[in-house]
Amino acid sequence: MAEPVSHVTAQMPRAKLAGLLLFFLGPAVVIYTLFSIYPLVATMALSTYTSDPSGSRSFVGLANFRTLLGDALWSKPFWNALGNNLIFFIVHMCVQNPVGIALAGLLSLPGVRLKGFYRTVMFLPTMLSVVIVGFSWNLILSPLWGVASGALKAVGLGSLFAPWLGLESSALVTLSLISVWQFVGIPMMLIYAALLNIPEELIDAARVDGLGQFRIFFHIKLPLVLPTISLVSVLTFVANFNAFDLIYSVKGALAGPNFATDILGTFFYRTFFGNQLQLGNPTMGAAVATVMFFIILLGLCLYLFLVQRRIRRYAF
Amino acid sequence: MANLRIEQLNKRYGATTVLNDVNLSIEDGEFVVLVGPSGCGKSTLLRMIAGLDGASGGDIHIAGKLVNTLAPAERGIAMVFQSYALYPHMNVRKNMTFGLKFTGVPPTERERRVAEAARMLRLEELLERYPRDLSGGQRQRVAIGRAIVREPAVFLFDEPLSNLDAALRVSTRVEIANLHRLLKSTIVYVTHDQVEAMTLADRIVVMNKGCIEQVGKPLDLYYEPANLFVAGFIGSPAMNFFEAEVKGIEGGRARVTGAAFRDLDIPAASLKVGDRLTVGVRPEHLVRGEAGAFIAEGVVELVERLGEASFAYLRRADGRMFVAEVRGRRTPAPGETVTLVAAGPDVHVFDASGLRLAT
Repeated sequence: MAEPVSHVTAQMPRAKLAGLLLFFLGPAVVIYTLFSIYPLVATMALSTYTSDPSGSRSFVGLANFRTLLGDALWSKPFWNALGNNLIFFIVHMCVQNPVGIALAGLLSLPGVRLKGFYRTVMFLPTMLSVVIVGFSWNLILSPLWGVASGALKAVGLGSLFAPWLGLESSALVTLSLISVWQFVGIPMMLIYAALLNIPEELIDAARVDGLGQFRIFFHIKLPLVLPTISLVSVLTFVANFNAFDLIYSVKGALAGPNFATDILGTFFYRTFFGNQLQLGNPTMGAAVATVMFFIILLGLCLYLFLVQRRIRRYAF
Repeated sequence: MANLRIEQLNKRYGATTVLNDVNLSIEDGEFVVLVGPSGCGKSTLLRMIAGLDGASGGDIHIAGKLVNTLAPAERGIAMVFQSYALYPHMNVRKNMTFGLKFTGVPPTERERRVAEAARMLRLEELLERYPRDLSGGQRQRVAIGRAIVREPAVFLFDEPLSNLDAALRVSTRVEIANLHRLLKSTIVYVTHDQVEAMTLADRIVVMNKGCIEQVGKPLDLYYEPANLFVAGFIGSPAMNFFEAEVKGIEGGRARVTGAAFRDLDIPAASLKVGDRLTVGVRPEHLVRGEAGAFIAEGVVELVERLGEASFAYLRRADGRMFVAEVRGRRTPAPGETVTLVAAGPDVHVFDASGLRLAT
């Protein structure tokens, strides 16, 4: 039996139906095309051109990509940025998301006082401007006037202090952790919301079954919020491979020391707009942007086909 | 011996008292139903027996052991929840064995108990299925199975039938009654449905505003309600109440008058002239006639025909309504004035504080 609505649309004259579709879908299609699809296609098109010093452009096919991946002058910084970006992502996955899950788990425990206060405080950094966060942490960690060294000394751990942001070995991880500190509120809130969705009676049943809060979390709550955790992972992946602002505000476009904190975003920025002695190269920049797009696309596809299809959502 | 003893149990949230000095003793193997309107504290009482909510004062003994400070799993109870509360990410077998794993039951014993419960509840075919693939009635049986495998001293049921449709509710009710006969276990069952209470219970506990109003066998509650609340709560449609006053006392008998019925003669006991009373008669005890202990007249306004009986809604002399059950095919017509009578034992008289007087 046909649904009443589809029955109505089935009997509609074609022109009227088209008008109806246009009315409802038109605005979204126009906006999406104008601001998402067109720039994407234009970027991809631009990546197949090259420009000579006179400014005229000529079609070169995939030559830009060959240069990017084959010419050592380009490929070395590219692979460096990609590797750094992976580390940046791994730190987020291994620190930001587990901490976010743990905080959400603690907030959802029965009888926690000042819940609203903690929630707000932990979410606060997320609402700050990245520039302010970067600047603040730059000051906090500064070996000259930062409070970090003094704070460590005060608890007898002064010997552990190092100019983390300035060392090639630790700058990237330090920046990743600053980003984790700022954005941990997002996985926390998403997972907290999912935890609140679990019916109280289910938790009561687990208590009657003899589980403590710790086991309830691992055996009941965690499996039930798995879909949200995987969603958070995807959001982290996309955000990390598009990251740029924190590195730029703390380290500048050169992503020092010695490109130790260079990620795809900053690499793209230098390529496209140029920096100091490097001239801007829009066509090469478009090629970098296109590669970034395909990296994220690949990651999303892997997620959709390998993870998403195996995860089951539970209706309560 | 798995008896349950509750002494002076209190529950307060700030200034609000949810349970007020509840005392209750339940024998081994007894099926006790807690019934009352919503907010009367029956579910709170059940959750406190389970150990899910703490008490503000008082003691709970299960099988002779004080369990006040014990965790739910250590109390020897099992609970069936209104929403079934099955773990959605585990199949039926795992749902049933999950709790046993944490209470140290060895695997072979777990399997034996699951097999037995599955046989009893006809769940054998469903053991590998997930809750999402089960109907409401099947989920309910799994929830009961999960309780059975715990082999508890006391089963706690929290409105287990309210999520089922009407037909399934009746058949599951019968199943629960059969199960009780089979297991001979102690059951505390919470419901707001008086039909469930009447049909299932060995004893009913009627609660109101955090207090126990009356404890008794179903028919005792029906025929000898202790007070106005129980009289009005048990029975459907509810008992008719008539305001009355003691007009005179002569030779150990009191003459009771009211605006809507003819004078009534009851034992005087400690009554005084001028005492305010309430007279209660159930709709099913009113019959058409001229002579009886209780006689009232009314104008029929509406007749509800149910088949096995009809309910006549009558406007009485003081302007309020009362209901009478009419058997058979001939029902009074709206507008007709009818005289209804009830026999002496069916007339209940309550004093000003609501307590029932012996008549």
